[in-house]
Amino acid sequence: MKKLFQLEKIKTLSYPAFKTLMIIHFLLFFLVVLVVSRIHFSIPGFSIKGLYQFPNIWEFFPWIASWFNLFLAIVVILLVGNEFSFRTFRQNVINGLSRSDLITGKLIMIFTIAVYAFIMVLLAILIFGIIFSNGITMDIIFEKSYLILIYFIQAIGYMAIGMLTALVFRNNALSIIMFLLYFAIIEPVVRVMFKADARRFFPAKIISNLTPTPEFLTMASEKSFTTSSGKSSLDFQEIGLMPESLSLGLTVILATGYIGFFIGLAYLITHKRNL
Amino acid sequence: MEKVLEVNQLSKSYGNILAINNLSFTVNRGEVYGLLGPNGSGKTTTLAVVLDILKANAGDYKWFDKPMDKFTRRRIGSLLETPNFYPYLSLWDNLKIVAKIKDAPDDDINYALGVTNLLKRKYSAYHTLSLGMKQRLAIASVLVGNPEVLVLDEPTNGLDPEGFAEVRNIIQSQANDGKTIILASHILDEVEKVCSHVAILKSGDLIAHGRVGELLTTDDMVYIQSDKMDDLEQTLEHADFVKRVFKSDKDLAVVLEQGNSVAGLNKYCFEKGFTLSKILLKKQSLEDQFLQLVK
Repeated sequence: MKKLFQLEKIKTLSYPAFKTLMIIHFLLFFLVVLVVSRIHFSIPGFSIKGLYQFPNIWEFFPWIASWFNLFLAIVVILLVGNEFSFRTFRQNVINGLSRSDLITGKLIMIFTIAVYAFIMVLLAILIFGIIFSNGITMDIIFEKSYLILIYFIQAIGYMAIGMLTALVFRNNALSIIMFLLYFAIIEPVVRVMFKADARRFFPAKIISNLTPTPEFLTMASEKSFTTSSGKSSLDFQEIGLMPESLSLGLTVILATGYIGFFIGLAYLITHKRNL
Repeated sequence: MEKVLEVNQLSKSYGNILAINNLSFTVNRGEVYGLLGPNGSGKTTTLAVVLDILKANAGDYKWFDKPMDKFTRRRIGSLLETPNFYPYLSLWDNLKIVAKIKDAPDDDINYALGVTNLLKRKYSAYHTLSLGMKQRLAIASVLVGNPEVLVLDEPTNGLDPEGFAEVRNIIQSQANDGKTIILASHILDEVEKVCSHVAILKSGDLIAHGRVGELLTTDDMVYIQSDKMDDLEQTLEHADFVKRVFKSDKDLAVVLEQGNSVAGLNKYCFEKGFTLSKILLKKQSLEDQFLQLVK
């Protein structure tokens, strides 16, 4: 394990695109939370300031951070795809790694990047939360803190799908395009062909729903929404107008299951195919 | 003798194309074993299969009398086809990765870079190297971890004559240290100069194998003709100054033992009652023999 971690460290830290993308990821996140915090906007019952206060901030910051998970996934696609374009996976095996070691190494890297992202968001939450909240108690501070753990799972989820894409296509450009297409077009189109109930169970949907839009930002709750055309409210969830009705607990369980499945698939592919 | 690699009826195809066909050979400890064959004869495929990079369609192979695993691979230093390195990493970091995988000490990296004359480029990024330097780095990475067995696939590819000689020296000194070396090459001269044994491949088939001295010789050949060719062949087969005799078109080709002359052969035939109607001495190059073998 330690050896695989050290190998990944050498491969990753000196990679120029890794540094660039991680810096952009960091800057964009802080830029967004900073800029939004400067906006003075309030309507009765809602103010921007409220988003930066405990415990709402535990919901708001992971949601913002989740916009930039794409960067993490692309970093992973590049790092895995490179091993194919440089033929170094092949060389690593010739030199004495097993095929499983290749994937385990990448999982260690994914886990490490997720820990980094977790710490980044955690620090931001603590800093902004303490500045913006007044009259805080320990209870209030940590009330929704479990949400950041869910963000951690989500980051791993995006990166695991990124890794699987790179293992299947073995080409950086193609993998990135397929990854984006899957999230933006392929799965949404396939989803529409299923019954409304079933649509909620697709992997990209589940994983992106781990950090749902904070409740106080959505326009209406499911219960109060009725339509003149008599359409099922689930159709409106599909286009993102309303929060999902799957409970967060179930979403986490399903997401973890999908992640496990994708990782298993990654091991399987690497064992079956020529390098 | 201890077997290092035993290949047993190995076959591998890419779609319809049979890359290697029912290949069997054994490499013993201390041998410098050459896999000789023209481009596309299956040399690289054979090595890729025995290194567990490609999956064989049939047959099996054993290293040190065991199936291959990652611990066995760490005892083997391999260069397969082109050098494969991380272009953005320095030479040091690239070899550091190799050393870590093989559990080798950092000293090995300096040693390997020293032997291949790359020490002064230690901290350059790999992509800044010339083609010859890249090939030398590949040789260096083979030496990391002081492996018992070296597997080299066209190690002199892309090298200038100087680099060619350097690599040959490295191989020879490794062989003198008692290492087992498996060398794939299409360059006959290379195999003849460094190998003790050779297997000749042609479009996936093993067409000949044995000691280099027995299979490939630079002996002169005498082509003779007489009216009783079959009797003549039998007679010459038993003559002690004849190394080899075989039919070649309408002629008999005769290889003489060292120190015997064509005149002596003529005299011997006449005494045995054969009148030769043709005597032709031909200096034979290795290339001729090689081409004859793969014809």
